[in-house]
Amino acid sequence: MEPAIRLCGITVRYGNGDGGLVAVADVDLDVMPGEVVSIVGKSGCGKTTLLKVIAGLVKPVRGELVLNGHKANTPHRGVGMLFQSPLLLPWRTVIKNILLPIEVLNGDVRSYLSRAYELIEKVGLKGFENSYPWELSGGMQQRVALCRALIHKPSTLLLDEPFSALDAITREEMWGLLQEIIEYERCTTVLVTHDVREAVLLSDRVVVISGRPGRVRSEVRVDFRRPRGLDIQYTKEFNDYVAMIKSLIGD
Amino acid sequence: MASGKKFKVINPLLTLLLLGIAWELVIRVSNIPNYVLPPPSAILAAFGSYPWYLTYNLAETLTSALIGLAIAAAFSLTLSIPLAYSEAVRESVYPLITGFNAIPRAALVPLLALWFGLGAAPRVLTAFLIAFFPILVPTLTAMITMEKELWEMLQSFGASKGQILIKVAVPRAMPYFLSSLHMGLTSAFVGSVIAEMVASDRGLGYVILSSTSRLDTPLAFACLILLALTTFLISKVLSLVERRVVGWAYRVNI
Repeated sequence: MEPAIRLCGITVRYGNGDGGLVAVADVDLDVMPGEVVSIVGKSGCGKTTLLKVIAGLVKPVRGELVLNGHKANTPHRGVGMLFQSPLLLPWRTVIKNILLPIEVLNGDVRSYLSRAYELIEKVGLKGFENSYPWELSGGMQQRVALCRALIHKPSTLLLDEPFSALDAITREEMWGLLQEIIEYERCTTVLVTHDVREAVLLSDRVVVISGRPGRVRSEVRVDFRRPRGLDIQYTKEFNDYVAMIKSLIGD
Repeated sequence: MASGKKFKVINPLLTLLLLGIAWELVIRVSNIPNYVLPPPSAILAAFGSYPWYLTYNLAETLTSALIGLAIAAAFSLTLSIPLAYSEAVRESVYPLITGFNAIPRAALVPLLALWFGLGAAPRVLTAFLIAFFPILVPTLTAMITMEKELWEMLQSFGASKGQILIKVAVPRAMPYFLSSLHMGLTSAFVGSVIAEMVASDRGLGYVILSSTSRLDTPLAFACLILLALTTFLISKVLSLVERRVVGWAYRVNI
């Protein structure tokens, strides 16, 4: 099977000359369709940069990005992104925020309305369609942002520390919700996080990046069936994975 | 406090009344002649002596200032879009605008009068020329200072620069644009009054100039009070419009 995302010898540099900084160097990474892969590492190790390369937001100086067999290096509509902050537009209602990508892609907003309502219901925000973002809690805002990321049916979902600004209880709720959504939408998912428990709970594979410049240090396959209940966190196997990955990051 | 809102209106009026009484007393006790500094009673008397004359000239000033302001608002909003869109356009045009702003606009009135005569045109133009800069700068700044993450989020689903500008940067700048109209409003009145003083036979600026030259100082003060009152009231109306149109921007302290 062809990988949904293939990074081949990706090197990214910020700035030129001696003042320049090599953010990631020679990164190879394949993500298979439907797979959930987490990228973990210390802060500043270049994991967000890798995500931006996949989104086409950052151009590598060397290397190749291949999506479903096609070379890509500019922003493309095949991805949906979720950031740490929900980045909702305060003058738009929930439904209009969610439909923003469709408007921008010159899509027929009307024909996506039913999908928007479906997503809203899926994330448990039925009844809030016409609320404004500031009327919602942080967790609810992030749910709206998730709907917006998915509205145009992207094949790939890119998540950049999406839950790190939320409180612990809301974060666990979001873990459950995200798994449901991934299952339902069947999208390939790349998650950047510094929360190792989150990485182990959500992904099929955890990629550990070492810092400055970012390189792939190792990969750990997580052999639990998805979707996973939150209880799995208290098993010995789960905690062994967490301990192993933490030691890989720490070295 | 339950009656807090009522006091919000009454308190400043009360302060004004006390100041007026103090002013009246100081003038009466110190025997300062009316043509140097008129007491409030003399200013009120001036309102009574020239009601239609003042109304007519206020209308002249108000019309030219508001038309100048409207043109300045439309011009600034329109111009800020290409300026925000292209750094090259910004770099080639913005320094010229800043440079033009460094010219004291009052100095241009004689030229405007030379080109356009003594009618409404030089007054409207002066109001516009003074008012556009304080509207343009905050509007443009709001458009070009979008958070990097927001920009990337929009790009990630393929938004072009133009789309980001129209769908996000412009609406995002609206609260700044509308609040800059307050600055523009006072500037436009300054422009109109200056033009009326230099090259006109009507308007409150003209009345101030002619009345002081006749030592009819109470009438000049009546004009000043009218100007202050008018600008204040229009400013209040603008605030109401702001709350309605961009209420979302005032959600913290509504």
